[in-house]
Amino acid sequence: MNRYLKLVNFEFNRFFKLYIVLVIVTIIMQIFAVIVESRGYMREAKNVIYGDMMSKADFIKNYEAFTMQRVVQSNWFYWSIALCVVVLLIYVFFIWYRDWLGKNSFIYRLLMLPTARLNLYFAKATAILIFVFGLVALQLLLFLIEMQIMKWIVPAEFRVDLPIKEYTDFNYLSVILPGSLIDFLLFYGMGIVAVCVTFTAILFERCYRLKGIIFGISYGLVSVGFFLMPLLIDTFVLNYYFFPVELFVMEVIAGIIVLIGAVWIGNYLLKYKIRV
Amino acid sequence: MNVKFNNRDPVYVQVVRYFKEQIAKGFFEPGQEIPSRRELAHRLKINPNTAQRAYKEMEEQGLIFTEGNLPSRITKDEGVLKKVRKELIMEAVETFVHSVRTINVPLEEVLYIVKEYYEKADYVRGNTHD
Amino acid sequence: MIEVKNVTKKFGRKEVLKGVSFTAEKGQITCLIGINGVGKTTIMQAIMSLIPINSGEIFIDGSKLTKDSYEKITFIPDTITMPPQMRIGDAFAFMADFYQSWNQKRAEELLEFFKLEETERISELSKGNTAKVNILLGLALDVDYLLMDEPFSGIDIFSREEIANVFTSHLIEDRGVIITTHEINDIEHLIDKVVLIDNGVVLKEFHVEEVREKEGKSVIDVMREVYES
Repeated sequence: MNRYLKLVNFEFNRFFKLYIVLVIVTIIMQIFAVIVESRGYMREAKNVIYGDMMSKADFIKNYEAFTMQRVVQSNWFYWSIALCVVVLLIYVFFIWYRDWLGKNSFIYRLLMLPTARLNLYFAKATAILIFVFGLVALQLLLFLIEMQIMKWIVPAEFRVDLPIKEYTDFNYLSVILPGSLIDFLLFYGMGIVAVCVTFTAILFERCYRLKGIIFGISYGLVSVGFFLMPLLIDTFVLNYYFFPVELFVMEVIAGIIVLIGAVWIGNYLLKYKIRV
Repeated sequence: MNVKFNNRDPVYVQVVRYFKEQIAKGFFEPGQEIPSRRELAHRLKINPNTAQRAYKEMEEQGLIFTEGNLPSRITKDEGVLKKVRKELIMEAVETFVHSVRTINVPLEEVLYIVKEYYEKADYVRGNTHD
Repeated sequence: MIEVKNVTKKFGRKEVLKGVSFTAEKGQITCLIGINGVGKTTIMQAIMSLIPINSGEIFIDGSKLTKDSYEKITFIPDTITMPPQMRIGDAFAFMADFYQSWNQKRAEELLEFFKLEETERISELSKGNTAKVNILLGLALDVDYLLMDEPFSGIDIFSREEIANVFTSHLIEDRGVIITTHEINDIEHLIDKVVLIDNGVVLKEFHVEEVREKEGKSVIDVMREVYES
């Protein structure tokens, strides 16, 4: 346990600098988003009200009050999230490959540590989780800040203050910031399973190189297939026989099985098949 | 201790020989403390097991002795010391005779040349000592 | 004692090890000799479980390698096993964190002996100094067995002398050492045993002093003999 935690700490620290940069860029982009959208709206209001001589009330009726929805749907906001997602996705791979890069083969050291090799796997997964949740927490914090900034720029009569839940319940935001606990557990649970399956696929490549890419991808597809099996069978074979609750439970079980499979295979590969 | 070892003779034999030479030349005095096996290995840049073997051999030949846990010392036994000197001299003589015998030359002439050279070398050494 | 028994290893279609067997005793320095690419590094990696083997067995003091074995045996490859941006002091902290057998005092002594500072960054070290730090990381562990892969490769003669000095010091005493090198001249007097490897098998395994005594041959003489036949 002790060595696992030390490894987590190590993995955290080695990405920390880049992570902070990512955080700062995200903050800047989102602050920029809220300022640009808010001031843009106010400028438009000014033009229409003073230029075209429309009344305030009419303007608000026709152009709709300002809400955080506008910020959240803006390009700057979208790209700030996209950037974080892309960086973390890349790091899911890079967190492994960086140990093999260059003349300093740190993988030698990691594989020769007097600890179960599975701890390497868990530590990396844990680190990724910490980074992801860190960004989620950052986002919630940013929302609070952005709402305040919005209040400073847009006067009360022009805006409607929505609770976070209400402006995040559309497309990708509802996945990253789910409204209910169940959804949260479901989506992030699936995320954990996906990360582990990816890790194991990466290990296939590291163990078998060229052949390993094929093994890894096949393994990934099998995992996805297995995971979707309850749904697929219900839809195409049994013609919607199961209740949603039953399907839900089956899916959770399938997910757990896939997770256990990923970890077990990953452990096997790390212990017996890995090569420097 | 700057000893050049060749690669063909067992190193431990060469170490023992080195000790015998130093004893015969008087550089190692009777009763003098010698470095530990490990220290010797380090100074001579040889494998510690070899140093160990050399010490064992020297102990068996009576060249060194060890009292309890104290560091080993060169023997004080006059008999052994004399034997070592004689051994080295005999070796030199053997080598000399062997190489000179092939050059068909009468013994008296050889001895005369040897005496001359020996005295000249002495003289040179004597001068450089001032 | 490290026992390698009939180990085979293929990389793709290439058979690198075709049944290698030898032993390395504790308290002795065993040298694996062979041309470049013959599989010396592969053997060491196999002993350390850094690569899988196709068949054969490897025993360390009678048992197979487990995670706890890494407190008893360590490997010094020819590249440094620490992230480049780490400082030497950080590397020490890392080792101390994970290995109970890490001897901080000895690490600091060695650092002083090699005339290096804890604040130096690994990426900024010269080749010779990198090799020294690498060796240091292995020597500062209180392990029974030390595997060193080409410790003399590509470093200047004075560094080589320094490193050779290490072999006759208390740092190595009583440990079992396996070393690979093709600079036999530097170490002929330091090794106990030679394992000659060619074409994936052990051609000859012998104790150097024994051969000197019984046959009057140096290691190079034996090598010449064996490779010529």
